[in-house]
Amino acid sequence: MTGQTVVLSELEHDALTELVNIGVSRAASSLRNMVGEQVTLSVPSVEVVSRKAAATLIQEREAGSLVAVRQDFSGAFSGRALLIFPEANSLALVQAVTGDELSPADAAAMESEALTETGNVVLNGCLATMANMLKRPLTMALPHVIRGDGELFFELSAREDDQGVVLFLYINFSISGRDIRGYIAMLMDLPSLQALRVLIAEFIERVMGAEDLGQLGQQG
Amino acid sequence: MTVSPPSGAADPRIAALTAGAAGVWLWSVPEGRLYGDARFADLYGLTHEALAAGVETDRFFASIHADDRMRIRIAVAGIMHGADLFSKEFRLPTETGESRWVSANGRAERDADQRVLTFGGILTDITEQKRLEERLRVAQSAGGVGTFEYVSGFGTVDVSEQFCRLLGLTTTDAVALRAVNATLAPGFPPLIGGGEDAVDGAMDYRECQIIRPDTGERRWIARRGEHRKDGPGGADRFIGAIHDITAFKTAEASLRELTATLEDRVTERTRERDRVWNNSRDLLAVIGPDGGFRATSPSWRRLLGYEPEQLAGHRYRDFIVPEDRAQTEAARARAHEGENLSEFENRFLHRDGGVHWITWNTSAEDGLIYAYGRDITDEKARAAVLAETEDRLRQAQKMEAVGQLTGGLAHDFNNMLTGIIGGLDLVQRRVAEGRLSEIGKFIDGAVKSAHRAAGLTHRLLAFSRQQPLDPQPIDVSALTRSMVDLLRRTLGEQVSLSVIADDGLWPAVSDANQLESALLNLAINARDAMPDGGQLTIEASNVVLDARRVAADLDASPGDYVLIAVTDTGEGMPADVVAKAFDPFFTTKPIGQGTGLGLSMIYGFLRQIGGHAEIHSRPGEGTTICLYLPRAAGAAVAPGLTDQTPVPAAGAGETVLVVEDEDSVRLLVVELLDELGYTALAASGAEEALTHLRSDRAIALMITDVGLPGLNGRQLAEMARAQRPRLPVLFVTGYAANAVVRASFLGPGMDMITKPFAMNDLASKIGEMVERSS
Repeated sequence: MTGQTVVLSELEHDALTELVNIGVSRAASSLRNMVGEQVTLSVPSVEVVSRKAAATLIQEREAGSLVAVRQDFSGAFSGRALLIFPEANSLALVQAVTGDELSPADAAAMESEALTETGNVVLNGCLATMANMLKRPLTMALPHVIRGDGELFFELSAREDDQGVVLFLYINFSISGRDIRGYIAMLMDLPSLQALRVLIAEFIERVMGAEDLGQLGQQG
Repeated sequence: MTVSPPSGAADPRIAALTAGAAGVWLWSVPEGRLYGDARFADLYGLTHEALAAGVETDRFFASIHADDRMRIRIAVAGIMHGADLFSKEFRLPTETGESRWVSANGRAERDADQRVLTFGGILTDITEQKRLEERLRVAQSAGGVGTFEYVSGFGTVDVSEQFCRLLGLTTTDAVALRAVNATLAPGFPPLIGGGEDAVDGAMDYRECQIIRPDTGERRWIARRGEHRKDGPGGADRFIGAIHDITAFKTAEASLRELTATLEDRVTERTRERDRVWNNSRDLLAVIGPDGGFRATSPSWRRLLGYEPEQLAGHRYRDFIVPEDRAQTEAARARAHEGENLSEFENRFLHRDGGVHWITWNTSAEDGLIYAYGRDITDEKARAAVLAETEDRLRQAQKMEAVGQLTGGLAHDFNNMLTGIIGGLDLVQRRVAEGRLSEIGKFIDGAVKSAHRAAGLTHRLLAFSRQQPLDPQPIDVSALTRSMVDLLRRTLGEQVSLSVIADDGLWPAVSDANQLESALLNLAINARDAMPDGGQLTIEASNVVLDARRVAADLDASPGDYVLIAVTDTGEGMPADVVAKAFDPFFTTKPIGQGTGLGLSMIYGFLRQIGGHAEIHSRPGEGTTICLYLPRAAGAAVAPGLTDQTPVPAAGAGETVLVVEDEDSVRLLVVELLDELGYTALAASGAEEALTHLRSDRAIALMITDVGLPGLNGRQLAEMARAQRPRLPVLFVTGYAANAVVRASFLGPGMDMITKPFAMNDLASKIGEMVERSS
C-alpha cells in the first residue's frame, strides 16, 4: 500500500486488526454502559503508514475539517493516540452518546466535554485492552480535543525526521442506529512499533497453541 | 447453560425458504460444541445429522482452506477475547478440489462477566460474487477504467482502486469528494457532484484535465456514467467510470495542430515555389506534348530577351538555332517518353540575334516536360579560351622540350665529334710524322665514336617512332660482356665496373641496339651520379614474376623475365625525383648536358617489348635500375653491330654519277667507288649533274642526295629519267621522313639508302643496282 513504511506480515496484520477489534469492542461495551444504548464499534482494516501518508489518507477521504481526541500513552509501547471524526459528525456523535436528550444548542455547548469522554472511553478501551491482551502495562495521559486537519494532527511540519509510523485504523461507530465514520490513529516511533510487533507475535503464538479457542473466551 | 441451535427449526417453513441461501452456525462455548444447519453442513462438507447433534468446535477451522485457516483462527480468537463482531471471508475446499468462497458474519453473546456464551452467525456462499469482483477488478485494471459511486449530499465517494490510481490518489475504497475534485486542473468543472449533473439519466460525457497529486503530472481523464434517483431518501445516486485519455488527447492535439498548419504550410510551399520560379537565374519552362511553351519563367526575359507572353503558345523550336533543331526535337521526343534529359546542350537565339548555349535537365509528368536550363555560353567561351591556352602551353612546352633535346643532342654529338675529330687529327699528325704504325687505334676510336653518333640518331628516330624496333631473342649475357670495354672507357678510371652475367640466362626479347644504348645511357648516368668515383655493378639474372608480386609492385604481366640490374654507389635520388625519373624531358642535369630523354626512352623501349623498368634509390644509398626483359621463346641470335666483313670489289669500270653537295660525303662515296672498281663522276649540285647526264657518256647508276640545293634529288631524278629513261637512281637521304614514305617516293629502278650508312651497305646496294641494270 502506498505510503506504508513498515511491512507487517499478513498474519501480523490480521492479528493486529483483531487486537484492535477486541479493544474497540471493549470500548463499545463501555459506551453501551455509559449511554444505555446499543453501540457497536468495528475496525474493518488497519494500515501501517508514514505520518505523511496518514495525513494524505485522511485528507483525501474527508471533505471538511476534522476534530480529534488526543491521548498520549507510554509503557511497552509509547506514542500518541488520536480518535478522529469529521467535524460534521462530531455533533451527531455527541447527540448519540447523550441519548438525543439535548437540544442542538446544548449539544454544541457540551460538545468538547462529550467528545473528550467518548474519546477517552474508546482510546482507553482500545489501548488498555491491547496492553492487557499483550500482558503489558500501559499508562495513559489525559485526553483533550484538538481541531484542524491531518497535517496538524500528524505534526508534519513540526518533525522533519519522518521516522515514526502511524497505525491507521478505519472505525465504524453504530450508535442508536446512526452510522458514524471515524479513524483511530496511533503515532509511534519505530522502537515502539518493534515492541508491538513482538507482542503481536506472542499473541499469534498463543492462538496457535490453544487447543480450544473457546478456552480463551472463558477468561473474561 | 443450554443453548438451542439457531436452526430456524421453530418454523420449518422459514427454514425451507432460507435453506440454500445461507448457512447458520452456533458455537456454544461452555459446551465446547459447534452446531450448524443443513446448508452450513453442506458448505462445510459435514453431515446434516452430525451438525444438528453438535461436533467438536475445532471442526469450525478444520474445513477451512489451509491458507485462510490461521487468519480465521486469529479472528475467532479476537471474538473470544472480547471483540463483538466477526466478519470474514474465507475459502472452503470442496470434494472436487475447487474452493468456494464464503462470507461469515457473526457476533458473540456474553454473560454479565463478559464471558462468551455463544459465537454464532451466518455463512453465505459468495463464490459467484467473488468471481464477479475478480472480473470487475481485472476489467478495471486491464482496461484502465476506474469506477465510482456517489450519493448526492455525501462528502465521500465510493471508488475502485483503479479510480484512485487514475487520479493519483492513495488507493482506497472511499475518498472525499473534495479530494477527487481537487485533482482537476484550474478551469475545469468538478468531476463528480457538479450542479450540471443533477439530471436523471445518462451523465454527460466529460473530458477534463487533472494534475495528479502524487506526481504533479497532467493527465486527461474522460468520465461517463448514469444518474439514479434511488439513493437513500430518494437522493441522487451517480454511478460512473473514468479512464485516461491522455494519449488520445495528445494525438488529437497534434492532429489538430497538423490540420491547422496544413493550409499555412501549403501556402508557404506555394509561395516558396513561386519564389523559385520568379527568382530563378536559370531558364524554367513547361513544354506541352505539341512542343509549345505552356509556361516560362521571368528569367527568359533576362537571359534571352523574350517576355513570357511572347513565348506562350509558341513552339520552342522556333527559338533554337536551325542547326540544333533536329537533335533537340529528337531529345524532346525521348523526354516525352519519360527519359529525363541530363545536361542536354543546344543553342538558343537571343531576341537580339545572339546565340546562347543552354544546358537542359528535364523531367516529364502527365505529358508535360518540366525543363530547367542553364546558360553556359560564357562557360563555353571560357572552355574555348582554355583549350587555346592549353594548346599554346603545349606548344611552349614542346619548344622547351625541343630546346632541351637539341641542347642535349649537341652535347652528345660534340662529345662524339670530339672523338672523331680528335682521332682523325691524331691520324693526320702521325701520318705527317710518318708514324703510321700508331694510327690504327686512333682510327678505331674515331670509328667507334662515329658509330655511337649513328646509334644516337638511330635512337632519336626510334624515339620519334619513325624507326621500328627490331625485337629479337637476345643473349643478354653475351651482349653485356661485349660492352665491357666500351663501358669501362665511358666510366673512366674512378669508377670500377663489375658485370655479373649468368651463363644459364634465358634468351630475352629485345632490340640489341636499344639495349646497348640503354646500358650505355645508364652507365653514363651512374658515372655522373658518382663524381668522386665508385662502383657500378651490372647483374643479369632470371626472375619469375608471380601474380602477387606483380599486383603489389609492378605494372607488368606475370611471367618469366631476364632482369638486368644496374647498381651504382652514387648519390642516390629522393623519392620525388624517383617518381618522375621516367618522365620525358625530366632531367636533373644542367641544360645542355642531358636530353632528359634517357630514362624515358629506356622505359618506353621496355614497355614496347613487353618488359618493365623500375628504380630503387634513396639519397646517399645509390641507385639500382632494374630492367625486366621478357623471356624469349626462340634461341638467341649473336650480338654484334659492326659487320667487319671486307668490302667486296664488284665493279668492272662502269661509270657511276655521284651527286652530293656535302664534300666529305661525296669524297667518301667517290673513294668507295674507286675502291670497288667503278669509275666515279662527281657532281656537287643538280646543274653539274645534268651536264654529265646530257653528255653521251654511258652512266650505269646515279647516286644522288635527296636534299640538294636548288633542284632536289627527286626533281633531278625526273630530269635524268627524261634523258635516260632506264637510268637506275640511288637516293641518299639523311632525312627520315623520306625513308618512311619511300614506297610513294621511289619509282621503278630506284632505291634509297639512309645516312649514315656503312660502306658495306652502300657497296652492296651499288653492286645490286648496277648488276640489275646491265
